[in-house]
Amino acid sequence: MDFGLTDEQELLLESLGDLLERECPESYIADLDLNHQQPTSFRKAMNDAGFGSLGFPEEYGGTPCDAVTLVLLAERVARQGLNNGYGLELLQATDILEFGNEDQKREILGYLAAGEVPFALGFTEPGAGSDNSAMATTAVHHDGLVTFNGTKTLITSALASKNLLVMAKDPAVENPREAISMYLVPMDSPGLTTNRLDKIVWHISDSCEIFMDDVTLPESCLVGVKGAGFKQLMRNFELERLVIAANCLGQAQCAFDDAASYAAQRVQFGKPIGSFQLIQLKLTDMAIKLENMRNFVYRTAWMVDQGLPLKSQGALCKRYCAMAGFEVADEAMQIFGGVGVTVGTRVSRLWRDLRGHRFGGGTDEIMVHIAGRQIVKDHS
Amino acid sequence: MKIVVAYKWAANPQDAEVGPDGTVDWSRAKGAVSEYDPVAFELARVLADTCAGEVVGLTVGAAAIDTPLARKAALSRGLDSLVMVADDALRGADGTRIAAVLAGAVRAIGDVDVVVAGESSVDVGDRQVAMTLAAQLGWAGLNAVRAVTADGGSLVVEREVAGGVETVVAGGPVVLAATADAALPRVPGMKEILGAAKKPTQVLDLAALDVPAPADTIAPVSTARPDTGNRQGVMLDAADLPAAAAQLTAALRQSGVL
Repeated sequence: MDFGLTDEQELLLESLGDLLERECPESYIADLDLNHQQPTSFRKAMNDAGFGSLGFPEEYGGTPCDAVTLVLLAERVARQGLNNGYGLELLQATDILEFGNEDQKREILGYLAAGEVPFALGFTEPGAGSDNSAMATTAVHHDGLVTFNGTKTLITSALASKNLLVMAKDPAVENPREAISMYLVPMDSPGLTTNRLDKIVWHISDSCEIFMDDVTLPESCLVGVKGAGFKQLMRNFELERLVIAANCLGQAQCAFDDAASYAAQRVQFGKPIGSFQLIQLKLTDMAIKLENMRNFVYRTAWMVDQGLPLKSQGALCKRYCAMAGFEVADEAMQIFGGVGVTVGTRVSRLWRDLRGHRFGGGTDEIMVHIAGRQIVKDHS
Repeated sequence: MKIVVAYKWAANPQDAEVGPDGTVDWSRAKGAVSEYDPVAFELARVLADTCAGEVVGLTVGAAAIDTPLARKAALSRGLDSLVMVADDALRGADGTRIAAVLAGAVRAIGDVDVVVAGESSVDVGDRQVAMTLAAQLGWAGLNAVRAVTADGGSLVVEREVAGGVETVVAGGPVVLAATADAALPRVPGMKEILGAAKKPTQVLDLAALDVPAPADTIAPVSTARPDTGNRQGVMLDAADLPAAAAQLTAALRQSGVL
């Protein structure tokens, strides 16, 4: 079993490290967090260096990429302390490149090149989230137009986006799997209004409610095939869970490194607190969790590259890494003591942001729902 | 215009360990493009792009410099091709010897108009290879270069000189040593890294370059860390700022700084 990196992966990580040092220092991230802003300039720099089209088809200027390399890069950006800094937007854009029309592709690629969020994913509703069959937002096609009505909530980055990738159902179709379609809806469409939701996590990504009251657009806003929205959306969910897990790994590593350095420097009773066995126990257990996370993420990515069916693997990986990542950050904060909870410390931001991954992209509990039934099925 | 970037595949100082006695252990240091050289790659690439030129990388050293990683690391930095002289006879070679081998390689490449190098190597820091190379080639040599542009068949070169900037025109072949901040080197992107292996690399035979054997006239006697002075580590209490300022000026006067 070869755990080594390829030459290309080593060089990519070195290059990314240089780019992060130049374009994404801690002061930059802290400012984004404080002012609740997106990392636009960093994303633009990533795009200029070619990282913004990773995995895209070559006809769109993309570069083919394996899953292991993708998670290595996502982990490295997260290790800088930046939450959701890389990877997820690529997977989302892939939906458009795969299923969208030429106008939609051109528009989304343009936003990516500018470092902007190409679109927000409008899926969750007040009465529906993981239970997509309960979705209530409707899209009614008539006279070459589509009219949307409904409410979306907890939508990430919509206020910073030009578009919303709306999942909505045709009320005339009973089977929810065949009723849902995918649409690209401009955020400034008449009838679309928003309400910001302030939250204690993920400050660089806004959240909001979105109300659609008779929002009417040409049918060309449909993405892909009518009625196939759910299948289209599910296509990248396994990879999305994997990238989230890599993000948790990187941020947890960042928290661990900060805590270990602090333990080596903070002196109490005449010696560094890292010399006390209770602190060493914490650091050791944190290191074990990080090693487990790393192995889980890399192996899952390797399975993707081998074309092996993930079955429950993606959900297991996401659940473990989200929980273990937060536990590492929590212990890191404990090692920092009172300093850790003061506003502006990196460990406090990591603690907040890692907490968000226990529900973002699917709760810990829904991962059990996904993995558990698969495990039972495999053994029946 | 054919532009050669002379660079060093050097041990990365970040991986080196300095012992209590000042000795440096390089045994765990990985190789990398020497820290002062990416600026030379950038100047060369920008110059080539403005005059439809060609950029050839050139490095010489022990056999260990020729690895797939080392090749790709250089080729991903805007080179069109790479030429190497990798021979264990060059292990530990001094700057004069390296310059002589570089000169032989430049002649072997042929039709070279300009050689661009960094101001120094990150591991040895001799600051003399580029100008010695110019002497070996019988070309003009310009150090402290902060900018270079093409003007017809000539090069317009800006140099940092004492108290200002000098602009000169180089009408013939020339060796340029760039300052560390002459350009902001681009970060190798995805396409450059993934495409590096497809670019041509030529390994030259050291013996075939017909470089005269080195004369053993220089041998290191000792090395020592620079004198850091007698640090006193005086701590001032800043709670009372005017008093702290007075203490600071008094301490500086006492130490002879003021």
